Amino acid sequence: MGLHRFKPLPSGRMGILWTLAAIRDAALVEFGCMGHMLYSGVTLKRAGVHNACKLYSTHIDETDIALGGTERLNHTIDNVVKRDQPRVIFLLPSSIPEVIGTDLPALCAELQPEYPGVRLLPFGYGGFNITQHRGVQEALLLLVKALPTDVKRTQEPTFNIIGSCADLFRFQADAIELVRIMEGTFGIKPLCVMTSDTSIEEIKNMGGAHINLVIRREGEPAAKHLQQRFGTPYLLGRTYGIDGTTRWLEEIAQIAGLTADAAFLKGQREISRQQLASVMPSFSHIIRAHPEEAVLSLGGHADVVRGILTFGCGELSLAKGTCWCDCPDMTSEDIPYFSEDEWTRAVQEHKKGYLMASGEALEWAGRNTELQISNPDTKWRLHPYEPPFMGFRGAVHLVNLWINENIED
Amino acid sequence: MKSNNGIKFLTPAVSPGNHCPMRIASVNVEKIRDLSSLLVGMPECTTHSRLFNPKPEGRHGELHWLYVLDAHEVVFGCRDGLIDALRKMDKAGAKAILMIATCVPELIGEDIQAIINEVQPELSTRVTFVMLGQFKNISYPPGSWKTMEALGTLMDGKATVSNRVNVLGRAPEEEHIPMPSLLPALTRRGLALRYLAPGSSMDDLQSAPDAALNLVVSPFMQPLAARMEREFDVPYIALHTLYDVESIDRAYTVLAERFGFSWDNAFEKERQEALSLQNQAKERLGGLRYVFCPRIDIPLPLAVYLTGLGMEPLLLHLEEYYPEDRGYAEELIDMGHNPWICRMVNAQADLPILEKLAPDLCFGYLPEPNKTITCVPDLFDFYGQVGYARTSHLLKRILDVLSEMNASGKGGTAHGSASI
Repeated sequence: MGLHRFKPLPSGRMGILWTLAAIRDAALVEFGCMGHMLYSGVTLKRAGVHNACKLYSTHIDETDIALGGTERLNHTIDNVVKRDQPRVIFLLPSSIPEVIGTDLPALCAELQPEYPGVRLLPFGYGGFNITQHRGVQEALLLLVKALPTDVKRTQEPTFNIIGSCADLFRFQADAIELVRIMEGTFGIKPLCVMTSDTSIEEIKNMGGAHINLVIRREGEPAAKHLQQRFGTPYLLGRTYGIDGTTRWLEEIAQIAGLTADAAFLKGQREISRQQLASVMPSFSHIIRAHPEEAVLSLGGHADVVRGILTFGCGELSLAKGTCWCDCPDMTSEDIPYFSEDEWTRAVQEHKKGYLMASGEALEWAGRNTELQISNPDTKWRLHPYEPPFMGFRGAVHLVNLWINENIED
Repeated sequence: MKSNNGIKFLTPAVSPGNHCPMRIASVNVEKIRDLSSLLVGMPECTTHSRLFNPKPEGRHGELHWLYVLDAHEVVFGCRDGLIDALRKMDKAGAKAILMIATCVPELIGEDIQAIINEVQPELSTRVTFVMLGQFKNISYPPGSWKTMEALGTLMDGKATVSNRVNVLGRAPEEEHIPMPSLLPALTRRGLALRYLAPGSSMDDLQSAPDAALNLVVSPFMQPLAARMEREFDVPYIALHTLYDVESIDRAYTVLAERFGFSWDNAFEKERQEALSLQNQAKERLGGLRYVFCPRIDIPLPLAVYLTGLGMEPLLLHLEEYYPEDRGYAEELIDMGHNPWICRMVNAQADLPILEKLAPDLCFGYLPEPNKTITCVPDLFDFYGQVGYARTSHLLKRILDVLSEMNASGKGGTAHGSASI
């Protein structure tokens, strides 16, 4: 990792925490110093996660470390069970237990018989070479391995969303848009929006869904597991743009054997096109007369970057600028991973066109922070009803952002 | 209880708990002009530090950079990486650097002092460090006092200027804290005051050893004052711990004698007001039982004062047990009281215990659902204030709460008188 001017790549432990913290009817206990959980809690509140999983820490002191003491964990679990009666307690190690090698799964196995009504679920992948995205992936996978019960497919078709997690910018707004489109197009409801709007009960029942919509690649192992266990088909992809969203819905119809409401779909496409109509001549002019300004540069989660890039270049004929992703494991030829040195250089060298990246990068560079598409964030996001990036409404929102950028220029 | 480690949690499940010392250190370094910082830790600490010190570069070219240990460094140490980082910061123009080591570098025993000894000769910037692992420093005060104490390393011995006085614990420009009347009175008597706190410049901090005296007005600055006394022979007078009128009298007299002037009753009016309120307080507070909750920055000296007024301490939340607190603890015991000491880390879970204790008065923060305990809330706004006026404000606030309580018929009769 080394020297940084900006926030480093988050750890796997942070990815797991951000994935679990939105789940209702659960508690999360971190074995470690209390500052971690206090500021994780603040970060989650800033991201708009409220009244979900109850967050606790055990704290740990010198004596615990020297003597390998874990009594604090026992007392904390006991207290949480008595006070909150959660259905599940997630247990997470922080960096100190990772260094001293505390065996959380063994401790949980020992304690579990004392609490028959509460599931103790320890999470691994706390090691120092595990990054945020792997943490998210493993948390999603462990959730679907541990919690779903044997249920039959729901009588009426239903769906799950997998991968809507608090580490992604605008995660709630995007999920709300997908649910709206699914309800409108197929008349079906979600069983589980994992994890931004869900509960232990909903995760338990997610085996009843007719299709799993995986909106980031970290969710695919979880979807594969569900496919294997329940036979639920899945579709991996983040949907952006008008045509992109239409294609995504067509794929869902095909995979799940659903019939789309043609009138709803037609209406959504028409409304979106009408809303964009007044600015399309300006776009055409920019692309034709000022091609250097019609360049789209993007930095963020690889799936977000690819999705917005596909919409911007495919449906609006923008040119691809410098694009990068924020995870070394997701690097590809056209969307490579950029280290801090590389992305700061890319941001500084970006002179014309649209630059969409993290709030931290845009603010530092003095760029328009309205064009934020990724985290790290720098602001509070108290309510989940901001416009999305995904779906039909997301397409209009993105074009709105880009045309305003031209006006400002 | 002999140290911080002796303070037990009142209830075990921490939610949300005390602030980490890293937070206060990050906040403080950001305010000191020309001081750069290198925060050393894991992705969690370095990421969270940006909540408090959000920008990598300060207004005057300060660098606030982060060093994140990787898996290899957690096992084999980060010496080479830190040396390289300091070289880069030196090259980038840092004038002075404070390294803030968080939990993991402290846990693996990284010898930061040895690293600095090795690299300092080749750097033009001066480097100091503070070890702030939360497993050793359970709450936030060390993030302030250890950080400020660490800046003593960057000071050089200087010839004493006979009329120079450092005020430790107050910044040159304070918008929120009223100026204690003592300080302008000192200026009028020809003393040159230099205000030292987060908010000062490194220049002022580095020049501080030329003072004839340090006046301490904040608990967070007393360890630096003690260090300056040890290393630079600058004596200090602590004013922040003095609440009762007589002890303030004595401190002011010592101060005047040291510089050979007379106060000429300059504080008589405010002294009389404090004395009058103190006498009223003795009458009205006598026998009332109290507890301390979080958000009291000088708990043991305040507990000694309130107990001296006749109150009975039941339970005290201590954020930090300062070295000098031992004397105050002994005073409390000598007064015939040995209250429970604790750390409150879960306000909602702690509240039923406090309600069961049923104190007459609570000082500090109580969570929202409290309906039964009369509370003198947040006392943090007395930070940086000293002297007779602070005592008056404090007592007025307590007496007002008491009057309100009696007016509402909520209590106060258990230990007071009632009319027939």
